[in-house]
Amino acid sequence: MPITERNISSFFKRHQVVIVSALLALYSLHLSLTYKKEVPRGAVVYEAVSFVITPIQRAAIAAQKAVKGLWTDYVFLVGTADENTLLKSRILSLENENMRLNDEVLLGRRLKSTLEFMDDVGFNSTAARLTGVTSTPWTRTVTINKGASSGLGKDMAVISASGAVGRIIETASNASTVLLLTDARSDIDVYVERTRIKAVIEGSGEDSLILKYIRIDDDVALGDVVITSGLTGIFPRGVAIGEVVRIEKSRDNFFKYIEVKPKVQIKTLEEVIVVTD
Amino acid sequence: MKEFIIFLPLAALYLAFKSTLFASVPMPDLPLIIVFYSAYRKTSIEGVILAFILGYMDDVMSGGVIGASSFSLIIVYMAVRLIASKVHFSTVATRAGGAAAAALLKGIMIGMVLRSVGIHISFIGSVLLIAITTGASAPAFITLLTRLVNLVTPAAFKDGAH
Repeated sequence: MPITERNISSFFKRHQVVIVSALLALYSLHLSLTYKKEVPRGAVVYEAVSFVITPIQRAAIAAQKAVKGLWTDYVFLVGTADENTLLKSRILSLENENMRLNDEVLLGRRLKSTLEFMDDVGFNSTAARLTGVTSTPWTRTVTINKGASSGLGKDMAVISASGAVGRIIETASNASTVLLLTDARSDIDVYVERTRIKAVIEGSGEDSLILKYIRIDDDVALGDVVITSGLTGIFPRGVAIGEVVRIEKSRDNFFKYIEVKPKVQIKTLEEVIVVTD
Repeated sequence: MKEFIIFLPLAALYLAFKSTLFASVPMPDLPLIIVFYSAYRKTSIEGVILAFILGYMDDVMSGGVIGASSFSLIIVYMAVRLIASKVHFSTVATRAGGAAAAALLKGIMIGMVLRSVGIHISFIGSVLLIAITTGASAPAFITLLTRLVNLVTPAAFKDGAH
């Protein structure tokens, strides 16, 4: 073997970890820097990982409900057992029954409002349940229990009876990831309902939204409701986004800095509607 | 390679629980602790590939910018490798401090990647919180990881993890 080839070969062997690291780091950087391009990325990994994770998520949610029930139905009532065992078992049984009925009533109310809302929007839609919430400092998404096999696809609008939730960014067969309005990558064309001023609403990366491109002399007041304009083709027109809770002068003295509180509270959200039109 | 058998399901479980049972709790960054643990033990291509896969999995499942976490975890791997030649991560304090510093580095790296794609968000407070929880829980997780690795490694091939 010539000396140069041997040198090159030994160089690669000595620095193989650094070389592999550099290549993988560059590849990762390339993926992130070109993420806006409409190239499907990570679909196979998403399908495989969600195939493993979705059942665990469902089991975890079921376990969480069971533990909550155990706590409220039993552990919390242990102290009263000393006073009267008979009374306790009667209370326990009534509590159980009451809780079950309350749960049924709440589910009924939610389903009723969801069905009414589905009729109101007048679009083809599919109802889905939340199976997971991801809230990292740099990402705000939720996972729903329906995917490509139910006809869902990328960029479909996800709404609830209270207002807009987000849009689908990834689908597997039986699960989808929804980018929430509050994620910093989210931006939607909107109107201020009262004055019909057009603007763009962006996620702040926290729990609020930022209404952009409202000029200093534009008429926007605290409490104004912001609704979708329907111009981007993702969200239907007129879906509630949130309510203006803070107005300040921005540094450039040209636009206002406006903070909007989303109508939909993710912490209490269980069912959503995906607009499939 | 056998470590993949432990670490990947562990990371999958972590991602599932993080998005359900512990969605509203500041969780320690387990994929980062795994990468930190792999990096300070030995230099290996498997370790780098593991860092890439864990980051990629995290990005795909959390709906983040794909590549941001994998990039930052590879940088963390290389940084820890570099420091491990001078610092032995054998005590609770060094492991906690090392993992917390690694979490900060990961946050900074992700912040830089997001800035370069036009996403300007300030999350230093959240990153600090994650760094604290990750640092505080890292020694316990590392003990657990060492035990799990010992389970799948035949005695004759154990590499004498610190």
